[in-house]
Amino acid sequence: MADTNAHLARAPRRKRRIRWSGVLLHGTIIFFCLVILVPIAWVLLLSIKSLRDAYTGTLWPEHFDFTHYAYVFVHMPQALRNFANSIIVTLSTVVITSIIAVLAGYALVHLRTPGRAVVFTVLVATLFFPTRLVSLIGIFQIQNSLHLINTLPGLILPYVTLNLALSIMIMRGIFEQISPEMVDAAHIDGASSWRTLREILLPLATNGIVVLVIINFVSAWGEYLLAVTLTNDQSVRTFPVVLVTTFGGFGEWAFPRVAAMYIMAITPGILTFAFAQRWYMKGLMEGALKL
Amino acid sequence: MQVRLRDWGNWVYLIPGLFFFLVYMAYPILKVSWISFTDYQYLSRVPAKFVGLKNFIDVLADPIFRTGMLRAATFTAIFLPGVIFIPLLVAVLVDRVKNPKVSTVYRLILLIPAVIPGAMIFVLWRWLYDYEIGPINVILVNYLHLFTARNAPQWVGVSNLAVPAVAFVEIWWGLGYHTMFFLAGLAAIPGEIFEAARVDGANEWQMFWHVTVPRLRPILLILVVLRFGTAMAVIDDFLIMGGLNRAMPTYTWTVYMWHLAFQIGNWPQGYAAAIGWLGAAAMLVVVAALFWVFRNRD
Repeated sequence: MADTNAHLARAPRRKRRIRWSGVLLHGTIIFFCLVILVPIAWVLLLSIKSLRDAYTGTLWPEHFDFTHYAYVFVHMPQALRNFANSIIVTLSTVVITSIIAVLAGYALVHLRTPGRAVVFTVLVATLFFPTRLVSLIGIFQIQNSLHLINTLPGLILPYVTLNLALSIMIMRGIFEQISPEMVDAAHIDGASSWRTLREILLPLATNGIVVLVIINFVSAWGEYLLAVTLTNDQSVRTFPVVLVTTFGGFGEWAFPRVAAMYIMAITPGILTFAFAQRWYMKGLMEGALKL
Repeated sequence: MQVRLRDWGNWVYLIPGLFFFLVYMAYPILKVSWISFTDYQYLSRVPAKFVGLKNFIDVLADPIFRTGMLRAATFTAIFLPGVIFIPLLVAVLVDRVKNPKVSTVYRLILLIPAVIPGAMIFVLWRWLYDYEIGPINVILVNYLHLFTARNAPQWVGVSNLAVPAVAFVEIWWGLGYHTMFFLAGLAAIPGEIFEAARVDGANEWQMFWHVTVPRLRPILLILVVLRFGTAMAVIDDFLIMGGLNRAMPTYTWTVYMWHLAFQIGNWPQGYAAAIGWLGAAAMLVVVAALFWVFRNRD
């Protein structure tokens, strides 16, 4: 963070201006922060409302009811199964994509790989092409002929490509920040290219890998289009897709319970982010944002 | 540089990526290209026939496709300025916050939507926009009494509000992430430039237009082009928030393609493939035009 503000520290402060400029500055930013926080706070509130209060036209409930989360765990095994599906699909996607991106980024930056320029051009081109949309029908047909419709691997395999190009570009940006001399030195010392990657480059690329994990986590965890196209059996669907398809609102799927499930669905991402934010922010600034 | 045989061995590191690229990107796209020239219908038992350009000609004359393209363009026209200028404004403001702790807190809050997955964002806003139980209408009707339960706004329905409402959701989702892009760009501008401009008597507004914006040009270009592409091809929002009603302003060409390929009749995937390709081609033309407009004139 310090780097980001470094130039401000050096610049002469526009101090002793009328105080309201500061008020206006923080006021505007806080306004945008509220625009972001209030909707999420509303769902959180809904998830602890009593069933009756959830259907009246008031925002603040008369009675709180904190049992909706427990209800989901105890009485809705199907939802838990969907949650487990989401975890399996997301973890697999994140691990596979990150490994691919690290290996490819390494080959594109620090190794004399023939055809690097071509690979790079193709990667950039896929970013500007609506790949996901155009390939959708083809992916459905492939998974169908491989009998992977309504299976978890059938989701994981195409999920890897969702952010594949972006992930490789991010790792490329991160590796470019590491001086080639270090890699050359390791080579001269006789280290194999694999050992150089593992022992020299990986420890330096931690921040970038955190960015990879978070970006791929978010897109795999909440992917909808492929999931709804490649699965129609509720028991193999991922959690967010089930939430989308069951906007009922009564009985078992009463609003506060769905809201509780909603909070369960967004918490893993927010927790991961809260835990890893230091590395994430550094990674973004280090090169992940330099396409 | 002479390419040695041994260097080809480094391709070992690219093979995993290549596998996924070929099997789940290149091959499906080629396959879609092929079936777009046939009358392939997924549920039909009749073998597909090669029909040449018939699908493409029919799609171009198809009023639903044309309306769909127009709707996607409307969405893009609202979304694109919002997702560029609002984060730019926020970034310039956050960049001025001198206290590093406060600045970090702002950044973290702004980034929260970036870690909420897409489908969850749209589910959330489907609730917020809901006609009866949605808190927006609850506030408008029960608290502010601006509307009654009968004439409250139908945010995502068959009305002119639908497209701006969905565009707002996308802007909300992208706000923090794009702000980070601009903050990274701002951090790279040397402070001396602002100092010099100030000494020359430039005011904040002039510095923004003559120092900040030109310096951020590369980032602006890449974001405008990338977001244009994503905006024209948006589908998840429209499926989740708008559904499959053709009268809805959210029924764009992408929804039409999906609807035909996986829901309607015998699933005419050949025809749907042609829709996908024509939409993509139209986008690519505009992307090329944008690159030409933004080309480096120096």
